[in-house]
Amino acid sequence: MQRRTILKAGLGLASLPLLPRLAYSADQKPVAFWYESASPENQDNLETLLVDPFNAAHPEELLSIDFRGSDLDKQLRVAMLSGTGPDVVFTAGPSYVAAMAQAGQLLSLDDYAKKYGWNERLLPLFLDLGRYQGKLYALAKTYETLGLFYNKTLFAKNNWKAPTTIAELEALADEMKGKGLVPFGAGNADWRPANEWHVSIAMNSIAGPETVHKALTGAIQWTDPAFVAAIDKLAEWWDKGYYGDNYFSLTSEQAFAQIATGQAGMAPTGTWSFTNVKPYFPDNNAEPGFVGFPSASGDPIFPLGIGSTLSVNAKSENPDGAAAVLDYMFQDDFYTKMNSAWQGEWNLPLADLSKVQLSDKVLPLYTEAMKELSAAVGAGKYGYTTWTFLPPATDTYLVSGMEEVWLKKTSSADFLKKLDDTFKQEKDAGKVPAIPARA
Amino acid sequence: MHRLYIVPTMIINVVIVLVPALLTVVLAFCNWDGISAPTFAGLDNFRALAADRVFWSSLGNNFVWTFVFLTVPIIMGLAAASMLLIVRRGSNFFQIVYFLPVVIATAITARVWQGMIYSPVTGVFGVLKRYGMPVPNPLTQPPLALFGVATVDLWHWWGFLCVIFFAALRQVPQEQIEAARLEGATYFQMMRYVLLPGIRPTITLMMIMTVIWSFLAFDFVYIMTQGGPAFSSELLSTLAYRKAFYDLNVGQAAAAALVISLFGLVGTFFYVRIQTREGEQ
Repeated sequence: MQRRTILKAGLGLASLPLLPRLAYSADQKPVAFWYESASPENQDNLETLLVDPFNAAHPEELLSIDFRGSDLDKQLRVAMLSGTGPDVVFTAGPSYVAAMAQAGQLLSLDDYAKKYGWNERLLPLFLDLGRYQGKLYALAKTYETLGLFYNKTLFAKNNWKAPTTIAELEALADEMKGKGLVPFGAGNADWRPANEWHVSIAMNSIAGPETVHKALTGAIQWTDPAFVAAIDKLAEWWDKGYYGDNYFSLTSEQAFAQIATGQAGMAPTGTWSFTNVKPYFPDNNAEPGFVGFPSASGDPIFPLGIGSTLSVNAKSENPDGAAAVLDYMFQDDFYTKMNSAWQGEWNLPLADLSKVQLSDKVLPLYTEAMKELSAAVGAGKYGYTTWTFLPPATDTYLVSGMEEVWLKKTSSADFLKKLDDTFKQEKDAGKVPAIPARA
Repeated sequence: MHRLYIVPTMIINVVIVLVPALLTVVLAFCNWDGISAPTFAGLDNFRALAADRVFWSSLGNNFVWTFVFLTVPIIMGLAAASMLLIVRRGSNFFQIVYFLPVVIATAITARVWQGMIYSPVTGVFGVLKRYGMPVPNPLTQPPLALFGVATVDLWHWWGFLCVIFFAALRQVPQEQIEAARLEGATYFQMMRYVLLPGIRPTITLMMIMTVIWSFLAFDFVYIMTQGGPAFSSELLSTLAYRKAFYDLNVGQAAAAALVISLFGLVGTFFYVRIQTREGEQ
């Protein structure tokens, strides 16, 4: 009797992994979506704003999200290689899409784009960035830009105004140094690729977006004097102490907090840092400011970045369900609700934001910054972030190579020479993502 | 018939060790991004590594790392173990204290040192700075970064050696120790003529394993510096990881892994030779 009980319990336990399968009703088709790491609060946001309403609106589908952590791209690569993986594929950017599309792991989305009207609903530039050999494989999940955060309260107290040219920026930074402030609140202790935020800024604001476009399309080399001047300028700012003594010790959040506390004057970082405004600025009775990064000409430059993309797995058993999930996300309603709850990660590239009305709790500064970026992209006046437009090996070399320039282990010219060599190798191997023509 | 007993372990070894190992060897001669189909590349990956100065500096760092781990923790472990043997009172307590860092997860140890000791904002170094004793964070200084990480790994590791050596020392015949005491041997004479010769096989084994483990070192460097700043703490293992998972150049990563294995093989050769000799004796 006892043995039979144990046997039953054993069989019961062994069948536990099968329970979710049994839970599907006969006509429900599962749609799996693997997501990267998200805070518990944001995991709830995804469940309540995406999973629950999607499943309610599509009774024939059953969407589930699996939070895979920061190693999602590696797990995904192994799964896709072995012909499995989720139905909705989340990649870290266009350079990953090119390689996956080349290997036949992603489904062409052209038919779905026609069916759902994505070609009209999304900004055309982002559709171009998701294409490989003329076919659409990915939709940009979020786009972002780099700029200059500052402490408005501190600026008002000192009668400073946000700089618009490089000369103004340097004059202000020198004045801040004179007052014992760190001019740039910046750090890479938790995220070494933060180095490339600064390289992207210098290349776009000093060399100019047109020059970067020429290099990306192979019309000029990365060793061009304009880029040497840009990297020399970054090295000069480092030598002058604009980045402070603790760049390699501070996490990006700690560095950002410095501008709220008034220890640092400005923070050259991206729109994802809006997440850190609420935890630090109100507590320090400070008001944040954000402007496009100053440039040689005085016009703000918005380097465009795509944080992640969404695709459909070529081996998906339910591609229609996966496409329906994408369609659900790229709507005014989802944009409004998600961005009201979670800013910075769901800036979907919708062409028309006129119907979008974010919650009153959202910082107006964030809404303004996103509208300004959307307008700059729509008018074709945008720059290029290195993590979106450079192929993988060139980009990873840039991260460590810039440290070598800062720490005097190599010169700007030698750094750019190696960058150019790596870029050429990857360009020849077809690893450079699609670079849309400039308007 | 008795040979059938090794079949289960052989199957596990072939599937988990041999197949991936052979695949790594094959991939070292291929161009592969980890996504599309690999293509044969001959010796290109090895040529590219040989021309890469970061590969050579990483190899140099691996030698420095090996040297540090062959000396510091072994000396510390031997000294502490011999003390535990001589002064028996409280030896159990100290064994636990010394061994405790070994059982703390690597990621936790690394983050504690990074955030609570080295950090100039939230760590002990920050407190020292506030009291007018500025100490630079070693992880941010290219000449010190590797040693900054090694210090953490040493703190985590030496207790293990201490416990191993203490266990070995307890096997040294008590009459030899007593005889040396009666003859009036000093601590150093006792170590030199009685204890060290008594546990020589254990020390040799630990040194060989240290060489093998040093070329496999990865976790602390990856968590604390990711090989930076400016490649100053890059090891062959972190280089291989970067090539495979960031550069999407699995071929070169496999070639770097083969170089790591080469040093492991040398260590294994000596280990097997010593084991065979001892078996014969």
